[in-house]
Amino acid sequence: MIQNNEINLIPQKIIADKKKIEDKFNLAKAIFLDIFFVFYSIIVVQRAIYLKFILDKSDLPFSWHQIFTVFLVSIFIGTFWALSKTSLSCKLFGIANDNKTTKWTVEIFAWFLFNITFIAGWIVTKISIVSIFSSEGIHGAERLFGAMFHPQMGIFDDSLFAMIETIYIALIATLISIPPTLILSFFTARNLMKDNKISFAVYYILRIILNFVRSIEPLIWAIIFSVWVGIGPFAGMIALLVHTIASNAKLYSEAIEGIEQGPVEAISATGANKIQVVWHAVVPQIVLPFLSFTIYRWDINVRMATIIGLVGGGGIGTMLMQYQGLAKWREVGLIILMIAFVVWIMDYISAKIREAIY
Amino acid sequence: MMLLEIKNLHKIYDNGTHALKGISLHVNEGEFLVVIGLSGSGKSTLLRCINRLIEPTSGSIKFFDKEITHVKGEELRKLKSQIGMVFQQFNLIKRRSVLSNVINGKLGKLSTFDTLIERYSDEVYKEAYSCLDIVGISDKAKIRADSLSGGQQQRVAIARSLMQNPKLLLADEPVASLDPATSNSIMQYFEKVNKEFGTTVICNLHFLSLVRRYATRVIALKAGEIIYEGLPSAIDESWFKTIYGEEAEEVEIR
Ligand SMILES: Nc1ncnc2c1ncn2[C@@H]1O[C@H](COP(=O)(O)OP(=O)(O)O)[C@@H](O)[C@H]1O
Ligand SMILES: [Mg+2]
Repeated sequence: MIQNNEINLIPQKIIADKKKIEDKFNLAKAIFLDIFFVFYSIIVVQRAIYLKFILDKSDLPFSWHQIFTVFLVSIFIGTFWALSKTSLSCKLFGIANDNKTTKWTVEIFAWFLFNITFIAGWIVTKISIVSIFSSEGIHGAERLFGAMFHPQMGIFDDSLFAMIETIYIALIATLISIPPTLILSFFTARNLMKDNKISFAVYYILRIILNFVRSIEPLIWAIIFSVWVGIGPFAGMIALLVHTIASNAKLYSEAIEGIEQGPVEAISATGANKIQVVWHAVVPQIVLPFLSFTIYRWDINVRMATIIGLVGGGGIGTMLMQYQGLAKWREVGLIILMIAFVVWIMDYISAKIREAIY
Repeated sequence: MMLLEIKNLHKIYDNGTHALKGISLHVNEGEFLVVIGLSGSGKSTLLRCINRLIEPTSGSIKFFDKEITHVKGEELRKLKSQIGMVFQQFNLIKRRSVLSNVINGKLGKLSTFDTLIERYSDEVYKEAYSCLDIVGISDKAKIRADSLSGGQQQRVAIARSLMQNPKLLLADEPVASLDPATSNSIMQYFEKVNKEFGTTVICNLHFLSLVRRYATRVIALKAGEIIYEGLPSAIDESWFKTIYGEEAEEVEIR
């Protein structure tokens, strides 16, 4: 039991201390970011702009030595710059000196960064106006578009069947994803998990795992699972399932974090336990957003299932790939038309359902 | 009998705000205590410390002679279930019926499993209806809570807290978002609960006319300290200016 009559906590001091620590943190962050900025600028200007564009070398010399030298130089410049409190990063973290020098450096350097990034991007993408207007290219495109206006109706049955397969893959992946997503979303909602250390650790670890899973595209998952369980619809379904769980868990948990706190507080003030608070105060507030996200996700999954088919996830995508490989453009035309039509219908239906819910 | 004994209570929030600076206070059973003060003076913080929605930084709170300042877990839930709370924003579950909102007040005393599948005994339903009767709104039991007017919602919130069979009823500016006429009727329900069931009420209020009419005792807070304690009738012009500042002017609510 705490029994101190003499209160020794002075609010102003607590605030000042916190501010000091925060400033130190920010300075450290600013130093790191400035080092990165300088490093990035030198590398981009030297390699992409000078060597590749101005000298027009096709293969660039690569040496760790050189990179390391650049890195040392950037550490020196970046640190010095951040410590002078006039750098871009200092401004970003709110610890810059408020004077003319800061204003000029920040503006000029920000412009500089933007421009070299844009120029380097242009060079790397090999943007070429010529190839868009080359007669050979235009001819190929003509053939494809022409085929789309004369689709091969002979494979209509087959492709319709493949399309239905794709829709079902998406539907099953979405349905199966619901229970695990629900459970995960409660464990990854900050406001429910922050109260004690163990639950916060669980929250943190789950977040990292989910972020990782989500950052891998469904296409890549499909490749992984087609090796694991064999090429076909099942691999496609699992790929979608995994990605759906990870993405929707994030959306769901954000919905949980955004609920009104008042009712939650009121229910917990009646002496209800944690499970009851979640069930009676949190859940009623999130049912509709959850439903809406899930329907939207089905719509997204139909599109993704098509793409996943391209790498052997089954359905219409796989069929498209086969005819494309055989250069049967009229068949390809039919399949593309069918995909476009179904995606459009799905989009419409899911929008209507979501409207009706709210 | 003494219900609540608060000694030298301090609350410093994580951001360093020193919201309560040594509050000492006794509350006897059956009192209707009203807390007044400018917004930001610490009224809500005081109520939240009492039912332990937040934990005091130092000092002590005794509820029926039992130290509750730092209780945790099961004990804390038991404490909360004995203290009802009514909020300015009603805080009902909008999409649920009035009846299930009222039953929510009983959650702490029912088994978790039963409350998850919403299997309640007839007694619970009967109790819920009688709580709704007290605030005169049992005909609305099946309606969705958010289709009611503000005053009706606040009555449901009172019924929810009555469902707890509270020893103490806290009300944090319960009429601040209601019109004057409705405010008065809501205050009458608090008075009824206080007089008929002998439930102790601690209520934060803004309007002095309401204070004079309903309070048996008043405390005034200013910047986290008690600057006045006594009968509502003793708050005269000069006290009023001390509590609310020189420019303040009293407005009447009838
Ligand atoms: N959760 C919180 N975190 C930090 N400061 C808070 C919090 N709640 C209230 N405060 C501060 O504590 C002081 C007292 O607030 P409060 O108890 O809400 O006053 P009142 O209810 O009388 O308006 C105010 O300065 C307010 O800004
Ligand atoms: Mg308040």
